[in-house]
Amino acid sequence: MLRLPSFQLEEPKSLYAALVLLAEAKGEAMVIAGGTDLLPNLKHGLFAPKLLVSLARIEGFVGIEEEPDGALLVGPMTPLARVAESELVQAKAPALAQAASLVAGPQLRTQGTLGGNVMLDTRCQWYNQTHFWRQSLGYCLKKDGTACHVVQGGKKCVAAASNDTAPALMTLGATLRFERLNEKRELPIKSLWSPDGIWNKRCDKDELLTAIRIPAQDPGHRGAYGKLRTRESIDFPLLGLAARLTLDHEGRVQDAEISGVALAARPSPVRGVADVLRGTLPGTAEFDEAVEAAAQLAYKQLRPLDNVPGSAWYRREMVPVLARRTLQAAAKGEGPVHPL
Amino acid sequence: MSARDQHGLAAPHGEFQIIGKPQRKIDGAAKATGSALYTDDLTLPGMLHAKTLRSPHPHARIVSIDTSAAQALPGVHGVITGKDLPTPYGVIPWTPDETALAVDKVRFIGDEVAAVAAVDEDTALRALELIQVEYEVLHSYQDPKEALERDEPTIHQNKRGDNVSKRVKLDFGEVDQAFETSPVVIKGDYSFHGSTHAAIEPHCALAQVDGDGLLTLWSATQITHYVHRALSSVLDLAPHRIRVIQPAIGGAFGGKSDPFSLEFCVAKLAQITGRPVKMLWTREEVFYAHRGRHPMEMQYSLAANEDGKIQGVDARILIDGGSYSSFGLVTTYYSGQLLTGPYDFPTYRFDSTRVFTNKPPCGPKRGHGSVQPRFAFEVQLDELAEKLSIDPIELRRRNSLGPQTKTVNGQRITSCGFDECLLQVEEASDWKNKRQSLGSGKGVGVAGSMYITGTNYPIYPNEMPQAGIQIKVDRSGVVTVFSGANDIGQGSSSMVAYVVAEELGLTLDMLRVVAADTDLCPVDLGAYSSRVTFMVGNAAIDASRKLRKLVVGSLAKHWDVEERRVRLVKGEALDLEDPERHMTMAEAFQIAEVEHDTLGATGSYNTPTLGGDYRGGSIGASPAYSFSAHVVEVEVDEETGRIDVQEVWCAHDCGKALNPILVSGQIEGSVYMGIAEALYEHHQTNRFGLHSGPSLLDYPLATTLDTPEIKSLIVESNDPEGPYGAKEAGEGPLHSAIPALSNAIFDAVGIRLRHLPFTPDVVLRALREKRANDNQAPSPGSDA
Amino acid sequence: MRVLQLEINGDAREVAAHDHWTLLEVLRYSLGLVGSKQGCDKGDCGSCTVLFDGKPVLSCLTLAASAVGHQVTTIEGLAPKPTGTLQPVLDPVQVAFNDCGALQCGFCQPGMMLSARALLNTNAEPSREEIHQALSGNLCRCTGYTQIVQAVETAVARIAQGDGASASNDGAAGHSPPDGGVPA
Ligand SMILES: Cc1cc2nc3c(=O)[nH]c(=O)nc-3n(C[C@H](O)[C@H](O)[C@H](O)COP(=O)(O)OP(=O)(O)OC[C@H]3O[C@@H](n4cnc5c(N)ncnc54)[C@H](O)[C@@H]3O)c2cc1C
Ligand code: SF4
Ligand code: FES
Ligand code: FES
Repeated sequence: MLRLPSFQLEEPKSLYAALVLLAEAKGEAMVIAGGTDLLPNLKHGLFAPKLLVSLARIEGFVGIEEEPDGALLVGPMTPLARVAESELVQAKAPALAQAASLVAGPQLRTQGTLGGNVMLDTRCQWYNQTHFWRQSLGYCLKKDGTACHVVQGGKKCVAAASNDTAPALMTLGATLRFERLNEKRELPIKSLWSPDGIWNKRCDKDELLTAIRIPAQDPGHRGAYGKLRTRESIDFPLLGLAARLTLDHEGRVQDAEISGVALAARPSPVRGVADVLRGTLPGTAEFDEAVEAAAQLAYKQLRPLDNVPGSAWYRREMVPVLARRTLQAAAKGEGPVHPL
Repeated sequence: MSARDQHGLAAPHGEFQIIGKPQRKIDGAAKATGSALYTDDLTLPGMLHAKTLRSPHPHARIVSIDTSAAQALPGVHGVITGKDLPTPYGVIPWTPDETALAVDKVRFIGDEVAAVAAVDEDTALRALELIQVEYEVLHSYQDPKEALERDEPTIHQNKRGDNVSKRVKLDFGEVDQAFETSPVVIKGDYSFHGSTHAAIEPHCALAQVDGDGLLTLWSATQITHYVHRALSSVLDLAPHRIRVIQPAIGGAFGGKSDPFSLEFCVAKLAQITGRPVKMLWTREEVFYAHRGRHPMEMQYSLAANEDGKIQGVDARILIDGGSYSSFGLVTTYYSGQLLTGPYDFPTYRFDSTRVFTNKPPCGPKRGHGSVQPRFAFEVQLDELAEKLSIDPIELRRRNSLGPQTKTVNGQRITSCGFDECLLQVEEASDWKNKRQSLGSGKGVGVAGSMYITGTNYPIYPNEMPQAGIQIKVDRSGVVTVFSGANDIGQGSSSMVAYVVAEELGLTLDMLRVVAADTDLCPVDLGAYSSRVTFMVGNAAIDASRKLRKLVVGSLAKHWDVEERRVRLVKGEALDLEDPERHMTMAEAFQIAEVEHDTLGATGSYNTPTLGGDYRGGSIGASPAYSFSAHVVEVEVDEETGRIDVQEVWCAHDCGKALNPILVSGQIEGSVYMGIAEALYEHHQTNRFGLHSGPSLLDYPLATTLDTPEIKSLIVESNDPEGPYGAKEAGEGPLHSAIPALSNAIFDAVGIRLRHLPFTPDVVLRALREKRANDNQAPSPGSDA
Repeated sequence: MRVLQLEINGDAREVAAHDHWTLLEVLRYSLGLVGSKQGCDKGDCGSCTVLFDGKPVLSCLTLAASAVGHQVTTIEGLAPKPTGTLQPVLDPVQVAFNDCGALQCGFCQPGMMLSARALLNTNAEPSREEIHQALSGNLCRCTGYTQIVQAVETAVARIAQGDGASASNDGAAGHSPPDGGVPA
C-alpha cells in the first residue's frame, strides 16, 4: 500500500481544545478536515507532522445557516456534497453550489469539506508525486529541492491553486473567519491569496478557519461556475472560472466580476470586467459583445502556467471560451458550464 | 489436426440447453458478495511483507550495493539483490534479457534493484532507505529514433552492438510493381502513442515454502504455466518442487502476462526467511512494470485501382520497445503479420524495427501489436475512400476477403463474418442517413479489423497440446473440471462449466471448476492471444465427450436400449422413447462407475499446422480469426476541440456466442478501452526520463460520464473448428474503434487525425490549421 | 496504538490500530474484511468505497479512528442479514450485477455496488444520467460500464416490482437477459 507516515491523531470535540492543541504543538501539527487532500499528500511524503488535529468532532463546525441579514454562514467542516445540494446555497450563491458540485467525484464530495477546499494546498505535476518519484527528479523548490521545473531558473514556486470553490467564493465576496488561541480575525477571501506557491495564503499555518461567511447578495445577483478538466468526474480543474453579474431593476448589468483558478499560485480576479459589461442588457447583441470583450480581458490577464499536467497553451486558449460561456450561463441563471 | 480437436457445431443433444443462452458466471455470486479472494486478500501465519528498491536513474551501471544497514534493522528478515537471482529470463525464451533484480545495470527509472522482507511494510520501507547503491549514470534514450541511430552506449548487449531489439522485414508478391502500375497511391505518416492496461488490481504475489521445501506461489498472473517455468529456471529449483496458483484476479488485459520481478523476489525471500512473504505493488509500481501498448511511428503507402480495389500495401514501422524485450519479438511480427485481413491485399510488404529505450518496458496490451497498424491502415483506407468518393463501408466491402480464403502472407482464413459485421453496423447506426449529413460538428466513421483466436506458436517449441482439461466425477453428481486456463475476469472458467454442463446434461450448480493451479490442473498456456475459449473450449468438449460416451454406454446397457435413445439433459438421464424411464445424473454416474470403475476423463486441444512457409510464418497463424466493424458517432466542439463520442456500434464476429452476456461484456469493454486510450490516456516519460504521472489521477481512466453509449452486435459465423463454432471476443473488438473514431472526426469537421492521442489541444490545433488553410484556399475544392 | 470501537456491518468490533492506519487497512488486514479493495490507495479509483452512515466514502482516505461513532457498511454487509431461510438472500443490486454480466474481474465491484446502493437509498428511480453521476467516482477497467448501468436499472425495476433478491443460480432458465446487446 501507499503508506502514511506515522503521526499522532487528536480529535478534539471543541474549538477551544483544538486551538489549545495547535498552540501547544508549536508548528508541528497539521489540521485535518475531510483528509482528501491532506492524506494523499502525506502518503506522498509532502509533510511530516507529528500531530494531526482533526476537526471532524468539533461541535458546530458543520452546517449552513442563514443570518438575519441574509448572509450565509457555512461551517468549515460542511461536506462539499451538502454545499452543492443545499437549496439555500443554490438560491443565494449559485456559483458556489455549482463549484462544489464539480469538485472531484461523489465519494470525495461526501468526505471533502468546504474549509478544506479553501485551505487546499497548491498543486503541481512535479510536486504531487510519491517520494520515490520526486527523489528521482531531484525534488523541487516547494519541497526538499532547490529548482523549479515549471519556470526553469525561477526562484519562486508557481504551483497552481486548484480549489474549485475559491473563485466562486471570491465573486461572492466571502469573508473567512480565522482563529488562533486568544486571537480572532476576519479576512475577505480576496485578500487571502499570495503569489507564493509554497504557501499561497496570507494566514499562518496554525490559524484555524472557523467559518466561511457569504454576505447577502443583491436581488439581481446571478452567478455561475465553469470548469475545464480532462474527465467529467474526479479531475482537478485545469481551469476554473466563476462569474457574477448583478442586474439592476431593469435587468441591465450593474456590476460584474470574473475570477479564475488553476492558473498560478493564487486564484485571480479579472480586472475591468464590470466596466465593459455595465449597462448592457443580457440577451441583446450589445451584451454579447460586452461578454466577448470581458472574455478578451480574461484572456489577457489569466495566464495558466505549465504547473498542472496537460497543455498550458490549451488552458490559456480556453480562458476566453470559458469566460464567455460562464458569463452567459450566469446571465441566464444556468450553469455549471461543464463539460466545457 | 487430429480428430480430437474437431467437434462440429451441433449441440450434443439436438438443442442447446446452456450454450448460446444468457447465464450467470460461476464466480458471479462470490464476486457479488465480496467473498472472491484475490491475491492480496490472502494471509498466511507468520507472513512477512516485502518491498522493492527501484532505480532513480533511467540508465546507469551499478557500481556497488551495500545492504548491511538494512539487514541489521530490527524486523527485517531478508534482503536480496541481483546477485541472489542472477539468471536471466524473458517470457519469450529467445530473448531472456530480464533479471528479477538488476545485476549490473538499471535501464529505466523504476527498474528493480533490491528487495526486503520485513515484519510489515513500514519496516520494509525503512530498510529500503538504508540500502546504499552507487550508480555510474549513462546516457539515456527517450526517443526511439535516437536509439535507432546511436549505438553507444547500448541498453542491452547484442551481436550487432546496437539498440535494435528486433527487426522483421517481409515481402509478399511484387509490391513495387503494384505501386508502379496502380492509378491511385496514398502515402502517409501515422503514429500511435503509449498506453497501459491499468487493471484496477495492482500486481501482488505471495510465496510460501513448506517444511519439505515445496514452494507455492500465489500470484495475480494470467500465465501460471510460464511463471512456473521461469521460477524453476531462475530459482534453480526442479519444477516439480514448485506450485503456482492464480487466485481471483482483478483484471489483466496483457499486463500480467510476463513473469514479474515480484514473483521471483517473494519466492526467494520465502526460501531465505523460511516464512511466507507477500509483495503488493503500489499503483506507481504497476505503471513502471507496464508492458503496455508500444508507441509506433508508421509510414504507410497504399496502391489501389480507381474502383478502390487494393493492389499493394507497404509499411515501415518504428516500434518503441522500452527497456526490455518482453513479448517484443512477437510484437514486431504482429505489427505486420496481422494486417492482412479482412481485406484482400494482392501484394504486401512490411519492415518493422523495435528498438530499446530507457523507459518502462512495453509488451502486449489487448490487441497486441496490431491495434497500432490497424489504426494507421484504416485511416488510410478512409483517405482512399475520400479520394475516390466511395462510401467507406462500400470500399471495405469491395476489398473484403471473405471466408475460406488465404491471406497474402499465407494465413488460412476459415469462417469470416466480416461482411455481416459491416452490414450490421451500417444498419444499426443508420449510416446511410448520417454520413456527411449530420451537420455542424457531427459525424460518423467506420473501420474494420481482424484478430487472431490463439496462435499455433506456443512460445516455447513443443508438440504437446496447447490446452488440457481433466474431469472428475463424484457419485453425488458433482463434476469437477480442472482447467489450467487463467480466468482473468473474461469468464473462462464459466465457459468451461457451460461446455461441460452442456455435454454431460448437467445443471450449472452441479459443476465445480478448479483453475490455474499447476499442482491440480493440466497445463494451459495462459490467457493471452485470445486463445482460451477456442482452445480450452475444445479441450473441454473433448474430455466431456469421452466421459459422456462411457455414461451413455452404461445406461444403454442398463436399460437395454440403443445408445441413441439415451439423453443426458438438465441433470437427468432419460430414455427418449420411454418417458417413464429416467434417473438423476448422480444415479447415472453411479451406474457408469460400476461398469468403468472411478470415472474421469481428460481432453486436449492442439492447433493444426498453420502459417506461411517462411521464417516467422507461424507467428500470427491462428486456427481462426475474429472480425469486427465499428461505426463511431461524434460531436466535435469546434471552439474547444473537445470530442464527444456519442455512440459506438461494434459488430463482432465471435463465431458463436457461448454466452451472449459475456460476449457483449467483452465487446463493450474493448470499445471502452479503445476509445478511452485514444482520447484520454498517454503512457509516457517526461524530459527527465521519469514516468510523467504514474497514478490513476494523472493517467486518467474514463469514468461512466466519459464513456459513450456502446451497442454490441454479435455476429455468428460458426467457425468449423471452434467449440460449437466459437472464436474470440476479448481483443478483436478494440481494434477498429480507434480508426473509426478518427474517421468520424474527419466526417464531422474535416480534419484528418493521423497521430494519437486525440486530446482537445491536438484537435484544436488541427481545427485552427484547417481554418487557416481554408481561408487561404483560392477556391473551394482546389486542394483536393 | 489505540483500541477503536467500530460499528461495521451492524457488528460492534474492537480493533487495535495506529493513528496513521486507514480504515481500508484496518478493514482488510486487521478485521479480515477483504471485500473492500485497494486500487490506488490515494483517492483516484473508488475500489475502496464503503458506506459511512449510508453515504459512500473512500476508506483509503479515511483514518480508521475517524470511523468511530459511524455506521460503516462494507460489501460484506450489503446483503440483508439472513432470515433463517436456507436460500441466501442478497441485495437486489448484487443479484442484478450478477445477472447482467457486470462482474467481470469483479475488483471494482464491491465499491461500485456500494455506490449504487447509496444512490438507491436516496433515489428509488434514478435516471440513467443520475446513475452515471453516482457511479462516476468508481473506475472499472473491464466492462465499459454498460452492463453495470444495465444492472442498476435492472435492480431499480425489480425493486419497484418487489422482486430481485433471489440469489440462486438456477441455470439457463433462471433469469431473463438484460436488454441490449443480447440477440433474441
Ligand atoms: C482524486 C481527487 C480528486 C480531487 N479533485 C478535486 C477537484 O476537482 N477540485 C478541488 O477543488 N479539489 C479536488 N480534490 C481535493 C479535495 O478533495 C478537495 O479540495 C476537498 O475539498 C478538500 O477538503 P478536505 O476536507 O478533504 O481537506 P483536507 O484534506 O482535510 O485539508 C486540506 C488542507 O487544508 C487544511 N485545512 C482543512 N481545514 C482547515 C481549517 N478549517 N482551517 C485551517 N486549515 C484547514 C489542511 O490542513 C490541509 O492542509 C481532489 C482530491 C482527490 C483525492
Ligand atoms: S511550481 Fe516549481 S517549485 Fe512549485 S511545485 Fe512546481 S516545480 Fe516545484
Ligand atoms: S483505493 Fe481508495 S480510491 Fe483507490
Ligand atoms: S469488473 Fe474488472 S475493474 Fe470492473
